[in-house]
Amino acid sequence: MIRVADLVKHFGTVRAVDGVSFTARDGAITGLLGHNGAGKSTTLRVLYGLLKAGHGSAHIDNVDVAQDPRQAQRLTGVMTDAHGLYPRLTAREHIAYFGELRGMTRQMIVQRTGWLLEALNMESIADRRAEGFSQGERMKVCLARALVHDPQNHILDEPTNGLDVMTIRSVRALLQQLRAANKCILLSSHVMQEISTLCDEVVIVAGGKVRFHGTLETLRQQTGNANLEDAFVNVGGVEAC
Amino acid sequence: MLSPLLVVWRKEVRDALRDRRSLMSLCIFPVIGPLIILYMFNQILDTVEEAQDITLPVIGANAAPDLIDYLQQNGVLVETVEPVAAGVLSPAQDTAVRTAIAERSWNFVLLVPPDFGDHISEGESVNLELQYDSSRQREAGKVARIENLLQAWGSETAVLRLVARGVSPALVRPVSVARIDVASEQARAQTILGMVSMFVLLAAFVSGVGIAIDATAGERERKSLEPLLVNPMSRLSLILGKWLAASMFSTAGLALVLALNLTALHQVPLEQLGISFIMGPREIAGILLATLPVGFFATALQLLIGLFARSFKDAQVYIGLLSLLPMLPFYYNMMNDTGREPWMNLVPLLGQNMLLTDVVSGRSPAMVDFLLAGICLLAWAAVFIALASHLLKRERLLFS
Repeated sequence: MIRVADLVKHFGTVRAVDGVSFTARDGAITGLLGHNGAGKSTTLRVLYGLLKAGHGSAHIDNVDVAQDPRQAQRLTGVMTDAHGLYPRLTAREHIAYFGELRGMTRQMIVQRTGWLLEALNMESIADRRAEGFSQGERMKVCLARALVHDPQNHILDEPTNGLDVMTIRSVRALLQQLRAANKCILLSSHVMQEISTLCDEVVIVAGGKVRFHGTLETLRQQTGNANLEDAFVNVGGVEAC
Repeated sequence: MLSPLLVVWRKEVRDALRDRRSLMSLCIFPVIGPLIILYMFNQILDTVEEAQDITLPVIGANAAPDLIDYLQQNGVLVETVEPVAAGVLSPAQDTAVRTAIAERSWNFVLLVPPDFGDHISEGESVNLELQYDSSRQREAGKVARIENLLQAWGSETAVLRLVARGVSPALVRPVSVARIDVASEQARAQTILGMVSMFVLLAAFVSGVGIAIDATAGERERKSLEPLLVNPMSRLSLILGKWLAASMFSTAGLALVLALNLTALHQVPLEQLGISFIMGPREIAGILLATLPVGFFATALQLLIGLFARSFKDAQVYIGLLSLLPMLPFYYNMMNDTGREPWMNLVPLLGQNMLLTDVVSGRSPAMVDFLLAGICLLAWAAVFIALASHLLKRERLLFS
């Protein structure tokens, strides 16, 4: 479970996040929706311990991120906004590197890597070096290494951004599998359609504030729009698009 | 299961070993130093050998037997050239001499006028002509030596004339300067030996720099630092792992260059220059003690600076300047001849430079000097690593 309460983060005089609160529960995919610069990535970075909030709190499974960031990181798989790989390492080595950093045994890593390669349909690139990878292949490696330790909580920053249809489908299938295993998944996106096909709940942020938090059904009812895009615009995402 | 520090170390080493191009370029550097040393020493040996036997072509030697004797006594081989027939030098002969010098059949010639002996015995002054080409740098030493001998003979003659007339030579020579050259043979070759130490120190800076940049500015540029930092480990173990890997390469390069340079020095007949090149176990242990920390120092500094750079290119510019550091003690030593002082051990690289120069030029520093210099360098490295680890915690480093 991922919980943020009244989160505030300044960059100089800019309030990137201005009192954001929401909860992403286990067994559900929660979408953080907003335009670029709405405060999504900043919120996520506070959650995975790379930014310190000016005010408010962030919890992962009742671990306060500010107080014990390393324990919080242990409970979480993170796909960051940055998708950098090491050009001279293979896909498999990328996954193993993160597994080793998280203290997994060789056997655990081999087992888990096998599963991830299959789930993400990336066996063919497993032993190729990353230098020639396409955007989709890079994203798959990033996702796989984020999930290597089979975490309970998942924070994924725009996991399907810029991917081809086939890759998006395998990512979606994987996320649905995780949800079925009662994992907590928090992903961000600026694409309404992506959220609507995947997420059980949606948190709409704009200008650093939460404009809506609930299920997609509630969003439709609240705004009276059958079309989600219209609903999105109605709750304040309007500055977004 | 390995600690994160070792995991990072192993990954960086593996990554660096796969970077064939940088590895190849690393292999070129170690060879340069020994080549330069061998070349320069051979040059010196050549000039030393040559200066010992000067062959001086003399035209009109018959007119000045005393002078010729004097020159021969002082180790000059006199080559008597066809004596001039009549009175003065003919213009034709003058041209012939110049052509001979121009064509390099001679480098210099001494011309003695036929009436030399008469003028001397009458107590008069005579012109001797030493013709040479000042653009031939390598002959300058010999020309100077001949000129000195001629002047010295002149002075002796003057003294004899005064004594013959009952005048004390001291009357016309109130001051006499005695030049006593205390520069040992060892000191003369010191500059070159100083280069050995420069190459060794430089090796430490060159060999680990690729991996140090890749592990810092490289991570930032290819945007792999943020994903790396979401793993639950301390920034300190991250930077320590990277440091260990870079230091390993740096130290390997340093050791290789050290070995090659010492081998090259061994090939040079240093005895001929009067240098006793002692390379016993004590010296080797001392050198290792003093220089091995250089790799750790260099890469710690490079990692720290690499973190300030946003891209590989930035880092190369900053760190490129840093590579001038090992040359500073070399130039300092060239400019400054005050000799060794205790505080120098505490200046990073200067201490190492002094120790290395001492050892290769046959002086054996005390063990405490080696230890002091080594420990001081490691202390600096620890400060750099602590700073780097602190820098990694800054939000602006990650998101800017």
